[in-house]
Parts: sequence; C-alpha cells; structure tokens
Amino acid sequence: MWVTREHPHGAIVFVSDHGARKIIENMDTGFSHLDDESLIRQIQQGNHEAFAAMVNRHSNRFYRIAYRLVFNKGDAEDMVQEAFLRLWARPQLWNPGKQAKFTTWFYKVVINLCLDLNKKKKPQELPEDIELADRKPGQDALLGIHQEQALIDGFIKELPERQQLALNLCFYEGLSNKEAAEILGIKVKALQSLIMRAKTTLKEKVKRHQGGGSI
Amino acid sequence: MTMDPEQFKENLLVYGANVHQWPEDIRQAGLEALETSSELQALLAEEERFEGVLTTRRYEEPSRDLAQRIVSASQPKKKKRWPSLVGFFSELVWEFSLPKPALTAVSVSLVFVLILGFVIGFSNPIGSLSTEQGQTDLQEFLYYEGEVL
Repeated sequence: MWVTREHPHGAIVFVSDHGARKIIENMDTGFSHLDDESLIRQIQQGNHEAFAAMVNRHSNRFYRIAYRLVFNKGDAEDMVQEAFLRLWARPQLWNPGKQAKFTTWFYKVVINLCLDLNKKKKPQELPEDIELADRKPGQDALLGIHQEQALIDGFIKELPERQQLALNLCFYEGLSNKEAAEILGIKVKALQSLIMRAKTTLKEKVKRHQGGGSI
Repeated sequence: MTMDPEQFKENLLVYGANVHQWPEDIRQAGLEALETSSELQALLAEEERFEGVLTTRRYEEPSRDLAQRIVSASQPKKKKRWPSLVGFFSELVWEFSLPKPALTAVSVSLVFVLILGFVIGFSNPIGSLSTEQGQTDLQEFLYYEGEVL
C-alpha cells in the first residue's frame, strides 16, 4: 500500500510497503509548465502525478466556492475531495470538444455536489443573538463581528439558489460575467440580472437591519 | 459615449464599486459620469460601504493538508490478502521503520529464539511427575520409618 509522507522541503513522498519511494516535488514535478487542459489529458492516460499536480494547483480555489455554498469547512473539504476523486475515477467525463476550459467544467462539478449536499441537509437557523456567559474586554467587538458575519450569511442563504451562485462566482470569486454565465449555463444578460437582483435584495435587508438608514 | 445615472447604477451593481475594473468599453464613460455628478459619487460611496459589509462574511481557510489528503485518497488500494506470518513481520518491521537490515535481522532472530525457547520448554517437561509416581512418593513420605534427624 502507498502512504504519503511529508518531505522536509514540502514535497510529497509516496512510500510503498516495500520501501519504494517516489517523490513528487510540491506534487508538481514536471507538470508546472503544463496548462490545465494538458494536465487533464495526462490524467486521462492514468498519470497519477499529473492528477496530484492538478489537485495541488486547484484544491484551494474550489474549496473557496464550496465553502461559500455549504457554509462549513468540513463539508466544503469533503465536497472538493469528492469532486477530485470523481475526476480521477472517470477523467473521460471532461470532454475537450464540449468544454473549452477545465476550471469552468470543474466548477460545475463542485457546485452540483454542494447543491446536492444542501438538499440533503436540514436547513439550519442562524442564531440571531449570540450570548456569551462571561464577557471579557474585547469580546463585545468579537461578538459584533460574529453577529454581523452570521447575519450576512443568513441573508445570502435566503436568496434564491441561482442568485446565490451568481453572487458567489462574480463577487466573491471574481470571475468574469462571461465565465460565470458559462458555468451556470445561462446567458450573460441573465447572469447580470441575477447579480443585480441578489445585490438589491441584500442591500434592502442590510438597510432594514440597520434601521432603514443608508448602509 | 455618455452614461446616464440609471445605467451607472446598473453597472455599479453588476461590475462593482471599483469603476477602474469595469469592462473597457464602459469604463471611460463611467469615470466621466462620476466626475461630473455628485449624485453618482454618493451612489458609489454607498456601494463601497455595501461591498464592505458583504466582505465581512465568514470564511475559514482550508486545512493545510487538503491537497495531500485528496491525493492520498486517490491512491489505488491493494486488495486485502490472508495474513501470512512473513507478511505480518514484514509490515511490523516496516511500520517501525527499522533503518538497517542488520537491525531487522537481529530483531527477527530474537523473536525466533523466544519462540524456540517456548517450544523446547513445552516439549521437554523436566521435573514434572506422573500422578502414579506422585502418590508413591507421598506414601513413602507419610510412612517413613527411618531415622528422623
């Protein structure tokens, strides 16, 4: 069985039962110059080192969008892992003829997994007021930050699914409208309309919460 | 090309409060409209505050070993075989990562000597007595009529 051990220089070392070792420097040896599409072609040929390079390159990026959708670190990591394991198990699912860009396609995979998970999970109420038993100096400010974060999360959760996706992809991930529209399978104009509606709703909710004044 | 307040407001929502990052074809018109209108400047300031609120949203960084974990999970797993003695010791030795073959040989020899000792001990019961012999010795002891010191 192969197990991974961390090398002092940050490389990943795979060690077999019999002591055989293969070192993948930063999991990117020989692959850092390859673009995603070339890497996935290597993965389709069963090259595990190419897969490791792909994971190393993109796991944090896809974790971000997963976290924004499932609101939980553990679940987000699980979703990213699941998506990459599916890619490794069935790399032929990416079809260069149909999908121009690997990341665009993979965003769809991660998003679909997250949405499925959200459907399975029971909706959780976010606490409106968080009480601390013994408040110490500085905790009030911390409490205020936590409350504000929980509030924004709550407002975003209340948005329709597509508006949430549009906001996450464009505002939080900084993708272009064109790329976000491609991921969601809609036209750019439709995407822009989703962003506008999402922001307008959020703005109203924030204003209402702050007592009707300007933000 | 000019931009009216309504268009500016829409673009503000779609492309965000950083006008310098708007698409090239509308950027200049946006900046010009902004320069000449205090109403648009107020709108921009409000949008900036709103985006500031949105960015306070909670976020947790992923675990440092996330990529490593995914790669490990994708490793092909070896089929489980029936455990053999050699396999067990080989795994044991590997698990403790003994650095040199000599040390491994010494450990294996010690285990072997230990097992051999047990085998010899059980197969050659020195000092054990049969039941019959034990009874005779007891009788001789009880009815001993010789000299008592």
